[in-house]
Amino acid sequence: MSETLIPNPPLSGVHHTARPTWKLRETIEFYRDKLGLPLVHAISARGWPEGHPDFLHFFFDSGLGSTIAFFYYIGTDRPEYLEPRPSPFYSATHTAWRVEDAQALEVWRQRLVAMGVPIQPQIRHEVIESLYMMDPNGYMLEISYQLRPFTSLDSEDAKRTLEAAMQLEDELKSSGKPEVFNNIDAVWSKKGHGIQQAFAETEKVST
Amino acid sequence: MSATVFVLDVEEFRPLVTSARAMSGVAVDGPVQGYMRITAPHALEFNRKALGFKPAVWYGAMTGGMVGRIVEFGRDTLRIEPAQES
Repeated sequence: MSETLIPNPPLSGVHHTARPTWKLRETIEFYRDKLGLPLVHAISARGWPEGHPDFLHFFFDSGLGSTIAFFYYIGTDRPEYLEPRPSPFYSATHTAWRVEDAQALEVWRQRLVAMGVPIQPQIRHEVIESLYMMDPNGYMLEISYQLRPFTSLDSEDAKRTLEAAMQLEDELKSSGKPEVFNNIDAVWSKKGHGIQQAFAETEKVST
Repeated sequence: MSATVFVLDVEEFRPLVTSARAMSGVAVDGPVQGYMRITAPHALEFNRKALGFKPAVWYGAMTGGMVGRIVEFGRDTLRIEPAQES
């Protein structure tokens, strides 16, 4: 594990995330008009450093000082490897915005329907409930509200889950046997054995 | 040999514990380090609709960890049998 004496001052949320677009008008009309996010900044520049195409870089306000931004590279075509694909590997890269509560999410749903934006069925996850849509570029967007705050139980549990998974990844690498880590059951089982140990130690102490 | 499921002691997974308490031959204890333990000397079976779980939570229902072998994990039924080796 790497250690340093230099602190990490707290981050203050997202300033912007950025993606390329080859659909200028559709993108602006979608974010500014259909979603109603104010266009707050645009850069237009000669391509730099050398080799970069000339570009437009523009930002829409997504609340609490955050923005979602796009690059439009003038005179270029979208390369094949950036074309949207019907794959979770592709839609895994997405932006999820937060709203305050269920009521706000419902108003968003109604607005999107009224604006003719296709939305996917709403999903209630463990700690958030979300609706999903695609922007004109094929980028996945999510709007969510959080059902309950995260607690230390969540972070301790996250640590156990990921420690188990990292151990399995190490075992997979060192053994070269795919069956070591080819489904989630392996994580649940490794994690479960760790918690079983904690129960056993508690029983030992109490007897 | 037993089948064991650990449930993080948070609201969204609590129906697993409530449901297990009503099952005969199933023991529920804890919490230890934030987990409830559901254990039985035979297979444990859960039904999604009885738990009131939407699919996203259902398919992550074992995230607290388990000791045993999942022999069925369909849309509505989850069955964990005791592990053969322990």
